[in-house]
Amino acid sequence: MSQPAGLSFEQAPPFSLPLRFFLTAPLFLIAAAVLIVLAPEALASRWTPQALALTHALTLGFLTMVMLGALMQMLPVVAGAPLPAPRLVAWISHLSLALGTVALMAGFLTAEPAAYGIGIVLLGGGFTVFLAAAAISLLRATAGVTVNGIRLAVMSLALTILLGLALVLLRAGGWALPAVEFAIAAHMSFGLVGWVLLLVLGVAYQVVPMFQLTPPYPPRLSRWLAGALFALLMLHAITPLFFSSIARIIDVAIAGGILLFAVATLRVQIRRRRKLPDVTLDAWRLGMASLIACVAIWLAAQFWPAWANSDAYPMLLGVLFIGGFAVSVVTGMLYKIVPFLAWFHLQSQLQARAGTIPTMKDMIAERWMRGQFRLHLIACVLLVGVPFLPQLGIAAGGVLAVSAVLLWVNLWSAVRRFTRHGGGVS
Amino acid sequence: MSAPAPEILIDARGLEPPQPMERVMQTLALLRPGQSIRLLLHREPFPLYPILTERGYRYDKRMDADGSYVILISPAGEDR
Repeated sequence: MSQPAGLSFEQAPPFSLPLRFFLTAPLFLIAAAVLIVLAPEALASRWTPQALALTHALTLGFLTMVMLGALMQMLPVVAGAPLPAPRLVAWISHLSLALGTVALMAGFLTAEPAAYGIGIVLLGGGFTVFLAAAAISLLRATAGVTVNGIRLAVMSLALTILLGLALVLLRAGGWALPAVEFAIAAHMSFGLVGWVLLLVLGVAYQVVPMFQLTPPYPPRLSRWLAGALFALLMLHAITPLFFSSIARIIDVAIAGGILLFAVATLRVQIRRRRKLPDVTLDAWRLGMASLIACVAIWLAAQFWPAWANSDAYPMLLGVLFIGGFAVSVVTGMLYKIVPFLAWFHLQSQLQARAGTIPTMKDMIAERWMRGQFRLHLIACVLLVGVPFLPQLGIAAGGVLAVSAVLLWVNLWSAVRRFTRHGGGVS
Repeated sequence: MSAPAPEILIDARGLEPPQPMERVMQTLALLRPGQSIRLLLHREPFPLYPILTERGYRYDKRMDADGSYVILISPAGEDR
């Protein structure tokens, strides 16, 4: 059934399964950009309703949307463990994530209990279906460093959703409990470091050497880093309640783990076999540089309480982690996954002969991807400036909007080429 | 006209996926009776095997000392 060292494409799901997630995600990136343009003051503090709506448009609507679609593809192909009832699971989780995120954003913006209620039902139900299917698949999966990363990331997602649902219930009901601060901290760290970073890390072990022709990650690092970070996140969530004195040590260890991953990725990329320009490679480098910047900013906050207590500090950390790291890496991966799947399904559907189908590189024009990446980079630079110069907000949102629209157009261009050459999306 | 070479060499070492598979597919379409393909690759091409079998080709593989692979591909019906 499964192949330990390779990819088993006989198990690949139909193109439409992951594709619907990939084509929906940029719409939430556009929505986030529009929110910034309409309410640039959203970026003044992370607790404003606009900032919460914006954050969840990015984390649920864009990042999680792409990550669920990628898992639909990767669990069968990389882990050799297909999801049960994949079409039904894809249909339910895609629809409830899209509509649930819209409802949650509406809840934050209007404080309307009905919107929160719809969001809770849709997100709770959709994630339950997805997590149950992923758990069944992961129990059967072939062991390996990538599957290990996916397992820990999916467990983190489950914890993030549970905490998130509890927090929304509290918010919708207007209750304030003393432990809410800890729940928010755990929701954020399991969501960003657990779900997002651990999935990127697990996937990196497989795709960075494969697509960027680098040497493998040091085996000792790839074996323990994901597990260690997950254990630290558990301690990070629990210790503030009991032993606040060692909380600082745990934070240092988490920052150290993140730094180690970023540096190891940059190091293997320097030693890649073929030094050709590649948008995905640049996206990963921007992502890793942003992670290193996050660690540096966090370190500064440990020494300067004034900086740690400012509104600018958490906003800057959020912009760098979500925009600079996660959105960059996920965009770079979309530029590999979508053309690869378009090429793969075309050639397997048509049993294609020489010259009749485009190559993977023909699926999206290189200069359009490059153009989009430059806009994304400019948007990131402007967003980093916003906490200090709020006047930059509208420009940052505008550039982000154009970049997100162009990402959507680029992904659609691969689908258009696929169908024009006779590929069928079913 | 001279007879076609019995073996076509594809050196796909250091190419980004799926270029090695694209080259093999393009060459398979041009293969004449009696010809075979020698593929050199920096890793083992697991996804290629089921596609070759499905399309009526057989393959022999060998790992070289440097960890790269040599795959010999020929139509399943032909003797060698």
